[in-house]
Amino acid sequence: MSSAISTDHGLRPWQLFLLAGMLAATAVVLVSSGRSTSSVVVLSVTVVAASLVAVAAYRSLSPLVSAEDLVPDAPAGGRTRAALEREKALVLRSIKEIEFDHAMRKTAAADFEEMRDRLKVRAVGLLRQLDSTGYRDAVERDLAARAGVVGGVSVPVPRLSSAPGPAETSRDCQVCHTPNAPDARFCKACGEGLAAPICAACHTSNESDARFCKGCGVSLGRPA
Amino acid sequence: MATLGQFLLLLAFVISAYAAASSVAGARRRNGRLIESGVGALYLVAAVMTVATGVIVHAFVVGDFTIRYVQRYSESAQPLGYKIASYWGGLDGSIMFWVFLLSLFGAAAVRINRERHRELIPYVVATLSTVQMFFLTLMIVHNNPFATYLTESPAAGQGLNPLLQNFYMAIHPPTMYLGFVGMTIPFAFCIAALITGHLDDSWLRAVRRWTMISWFFLSLGLTLGMIWAYEELGWGGFWGWDPVENAGLLPWFTATAFLHSVMVQERRGMLRVWNVTLVITTFFLTLFGTFMTRSGVVQSVHAFGEDRQLALMFTVFMSAVLIFSAAWVIYRLPLLKARNELDSWASKEAAFLANNWVLLFSAVFVLFATMFPTLSEALTGERLTVGPPFFNTWMTPVGLILLMLTGVGPLLAWRSSTLANMRQQFLWPVVSGLAAAALTIGLGIRVWSSGLCFALSGFVVGTIAQEFIRGAAVRQQTTGTDLFTAMVGLVGRNKRRYGGYMVHVGIVLMFMGFAGEGFGRDEQALLKPGQQVQVDRYVLRLDAIRATEDSQKQMVTGHITVFDDRGSEIGKMYPAKWFYRSRPQEPTTEVAIRRSLAEDLYIVMAGFELGEQSASVEVHVNELVNWIWIGFGLMALGTGIALLPERVLALAGARVGAEATAVLLLLSVLLAPAGVLAQTASVGQVASTGAGTLVFRSAEERELANEIMCTCGCRLPAGTCGMMNCEGKASQLAKIKTLVSEGKTREQVIASFVQEFGGQHILARPIDEGYHRLLWLMPYTLAALTAVGLAVIARRWATGRTEASALGTPAAAGDAGLQQRLDDELRDLD
Repeated sequence: MSSAISTDHGLRPWQLFLLAGMLAATAVVLVSSGRSTSSVVVLSVTVVAASLVAVAAYRSLSPLVSAEDLVPDAPAGGRTRAALEREKALVLRSIKEIEFDHAMRKTAAADFEEMRDRLKVRAVGLLRQLDSTGYRDAVERDLAARAGVVGGVSVPVPRLSSAPGPAETSRDCQVCHTPNAPDARFCKACGEGLAAPICAACHTSNESDARFCKGCGVSLGRPA
Repeated sequence: MATLGQFLLLLAFVISAYAAASSVAGARRRNGRLIESGVGALYLVAAVMTVATGVIVHAFVVGDFTIRYVQRYSESAQPLGYKIASYWGGLDGSIMFWVFLLSLFGAAAVRINRERHRELIPYVVATLSTVQMFFLTLMIVHNNPFATYLTESPAAGQGLNPLLQNFYMAIHPPTMYLGFVGMTIPFAFCIAALITGHLDDSWLRAVRRWTMISWFFLSLGLTLGMIWAYEELGWGGFWGWDPVENAGLLPWFTATAFLHSVMVQERRGMLRVWNVTLVITTFFLTLFGTFMTRSGVVQSVHAFGEDRQLALMFTVFMSAVLIFSAAWVIYRLPLLKARNELDSWASKEAAFLANNWVLLFSAVFVLFATMFPTLSEALTGERLTVGPPFFNTWMTPVGLILLMLTGVGPLLAWRSSTLANMRQQFLWPVVSGLAAAALTIGLGIRVWSSGLCFALSGFVVGTIAQEFIRGAAVRQQTTGTDLFTAMVGLVGRNKRRYGGYMVHVGIVLMFMGFAGEGFGRDEQALLKPGQQVQVDRYVLRLDAIRATEDSQKQMVTGHITVFDDRGSEIGKMYPAKWFYRSRPQEPTTEVAIRRSLAEDLYIVMAGFELGEQSASVEVHVNELVNWIWIGFGLMALGTGIALLPERVLALAGARVGAEATAVLLLLSVLLAPAGVLAQTASVGQVASTGAGTLVFRSAEERELANEIMCTCGCRLPAGTCGMMNCEGKASQLAKIKTLVSEGKTREQVIASFVQEFGGQHILARPIDEGYHRLLWLMPYTLAALTAVGLAVIARRWATGRTEASALGTPAAAGDAGLQQRLDDELRDLD
C-alpha cells in the first residue's frame, strides 16, 4: 500500500486514509454486533471521522516537507482565471442593473452616467487582464484576482488613457529605484519584494501594476 | 471514552495554537509552506472536533453515565432524538458544540475562499483559531464535558429538562448557534483585511454571503424559539423580552444593519468604517450574548446559573477582542475614507442610513434595558425588573419606523431623487397604504399600534408590488416576452434585490402577526365535565379529564369539545400536563392549539382536580399569529433566492421554481408537528349539563396583571406565567383582585405591592421617578445623541471633496476594441 503513495500514481494519500477508515468502520460493525443499531452507527461514523483526522494531519504536515517551493505569490492557474471571469460577470451584471434602474426612472441621468462609466472602466480593465497571456500576466492576473478589484476602481486614475497595452516592461524597486526584469519578484539590488508595491505616504500595499496608490492617490513612482 | 474525549479537546487546542502561530509566521515571512500547513491545521481541528463529537454522542446514545455531563442531561428512557439533543442541552456540551460548529464553518469558509482571497487567508485562519482556542480553554480549564465521576457513578441519568423535550427546542439551539458561530467568519475576514490593509471591496464580497447565511440561521433560531415559547410555555405569547432572547436579537439587529449598509459601500463607496464597525460589533454581540447566557450575570429563565469564573474569562476575552479590533480600525482609518459624499437626504443612501440608525438604536436600547437591572444592582444595590411592558412601550414605535423605511427605501434613487421622481414612485404605495388603513378602520380595529402597523404594511406591500410590476414591464419591453416570463427573469437576474424584497414581504407578514397581539382576547374558566363556557365566538365543553402514561411520563389530558357560536361542533382539543418521572416537580404544559389563518384558539389546562374531574383552563384567542410563521417561510424563500449562486442565472425560471418547492417542503416538514394538534372538524350539537364559571376580570385587573411580576421564579408578569398550579401567580392575581375590588387606583395597587415586597423588583418595569428616570430617559437621550451624530457624519460627507469628476471615462480607459467587446458582451447578457 505504501508503495502506492510513493509512486504518486493510482492511490492518493487521502483515498488511502479514507479506505483505511472505511475498513476500520467495517471492523467496528463486525466486532460490536450485539449492540444497538444507533450506537454502532455513531461508532462507525466516529471511526470514519478519525480517518479524516489522518487526512487533515497529512494535509497540514506535507507542505512543511514538500520539495517544491510554495511561494504565496505563485500563480494558481485556471482557478484564478475563473475568479477573474466571475469578477467580470459581476461587473457586467452591475452595469445592467444600473441601466435597469435608469429604465425604471429611479436615477437621474447624470448620476446614472457617472456610475455606469465607473463600472465600465473596471470592466475594460478586467477584459484586458483576461486577454493577456504569458507568465508575467499570469502573475498579474493572479494578483488581480486575489485583490478582487483591479485598475478601474482604485480611485483617482487620471492617466489611464495613456496606457493601452498590457502594462510596462520593467519594474522599478520601491526602495532603491533599481529597474528590474518584468518577471522579477524581488529587487536584484536590495532584495525588496516587488509584488506588492507599498505606498510611501500611507503604507498601503497596492496591486503590482498600480501606478497610483489606491489608498491615498499618491503616485507610486513607476513609469507609465 | 471520557479520557479519549478529553485528549481530543486538548489536541484540538494544541492544533489551533499551531494553526494560529504558523499562519501568522507564514504571512509575516512570506513562507508558503507555513501558511499551507496552517490551513491544513484548521481542517485538522474540524476533523478532531468531529471525532470528539462522535465520542460524546456515542456516550449519550449508549448512556455512559460515568460521564457527569451525560448523567446530568440524559436518561435511558429518552427517545434517541432527544438523547442526541442533550449534547447541546447543557452548558459544557453547548460550548463544545459551539467549537464543533465553528471549526466546521471555519474550515468550509477557508476552503471556499482560499484561492480568491489568498492574501487574507493566513490571518483568517489565525483569527478563527484564536477564537476556537478561547472556547477550548473554557472547556479544558472550567467546563469539561468529559469530566467523570471520581467515585461511584450513578446508575441512571437525570434526563433532559422536560421543557426542552420539544421538537422545536431540539433544533432551536443548533440553528441559533449556527447563526452565532457564522458571525465569526465575517469577523475573521474583517480582521484579516484590516491587518493586511486589503481594504477595498473584495473582502466584503467574501463576507456578504456568510453574513447572509448566518443571518438566516439567526432568524430561523429566533423564530423556532418563538414557536417553542408559543407551544410549550403556555402563556399564549411568543416573545417575553427575556435577556437571553434579547441576546439573540442583538446581533440580529447589527447583522441586518450590515446587510443593508454593505449595499451602500458596494454602490457608492461610502460607509466603509461603519461596515467594518458593524461586523466587529456583531461578532462582539454574539460573544456578549453567550456571556449573558452562560455566566449568570443577568437573571433569566434560560440562564445556566451563576458562574463568576466563567464571567471573568469571558470578560477578559471580550475586552481583548474589543481593544484589538478597535486598535486596528483606528490604525487603518486612512484607508477607510469614504469615496463619495451624501448628495441629498432624499436618496437611497439616506434611507439606508436611517435604517441603520434605527437598527443600531434598537440594539443599544435592548442592550441597555437588558443590562439595567444588573447595573442598578451593582450601583445602588436595588433589585429591579425591566420586563415586557417597558420593551413593548419603546420597541413598538421603533418597529413601526423600521416598517415604514422598508417601504420608503426601494422607492428612492441612489444619490438623489427629484420631486417628480418621488411623486411618480410614491403614488401607488401610498394609495395602497391608505386603502389598508381604511380597511382596518372598517373592520373595527381600534388599537392605534395595530392599525398603524396594518396601514404601513399596506404601504410596504404596495411598494414591493410596484417594484415587481414596473420591473417586469421594463423587462418585457427590453426582452419582448410575456409578463410572467419577464417577472421570473427579473427575479432570476437580480436575485439579491428581489430575494430581498421577498424577505421584506415576509417581515410585513410577521409584523401583521405581531400587530394581532394587540387585539387578542383571553379568559380563565373553571369547568367540570359537561359544563361549558363561551369565549369570543367559541363554546368550550369539558368532556373528561383522563390520566395515561408511557415509559417516560404520566400524562393528564383534558378532553374538550369546541363548538362555534351557532352550536355546531368545530372539533375536539386536548390540553394536557405531562409529569416526567425523572422530574415530577416540573410538569410541562402541553397546549392545545386550533390553528387558522385568521386566529388561533389556544387552550391551556392551568390546573386540574382528578378526583372531582374539574379543570381550570385558560383560553386565548390569538389573532393572526400564524402569519408570523408564514412570514418567516417567505423570508426563508427570499434569502434562499438571494443566496443562489450567479451560475443559476441561465436557468433562472426553472431553478427558482425548484428552490421555492424545496424551501416550502422544508418548511412544511418544520411545521408539520405543529399541525398535528389541529383537529379535524365534525358536526354535532351542544349537549350541555350546565355552565362553567368564567373568571371575571376587570380591565384594570388585566392591565395590572401585566405590571406585577409572578413570584415563582419564571421571570414573567403574573398574568403571563404559564406554570401549573403556580402559587406565586395565584396569590399575586388574588391580591390584585382584592385591591382592585377595594376600589384602589392603579397607582395605589402598585404602591402597595412595592411596599409589601420591599422593592420595585416586583414590578415589570420600574416607576418613572428618581434614579429610575435614567432608564426612561435613555431612549430619548440615545435618539437625540445618534441624531446629532448622524447629522455630523452627513455634514462631513456633504462638505467632503468630490472625486467623481477625477474618474476617467470608459472610452479613455481602454482602446476601442475592448470597448466594442464590452458593449457586445453587455448586449448579449440577459
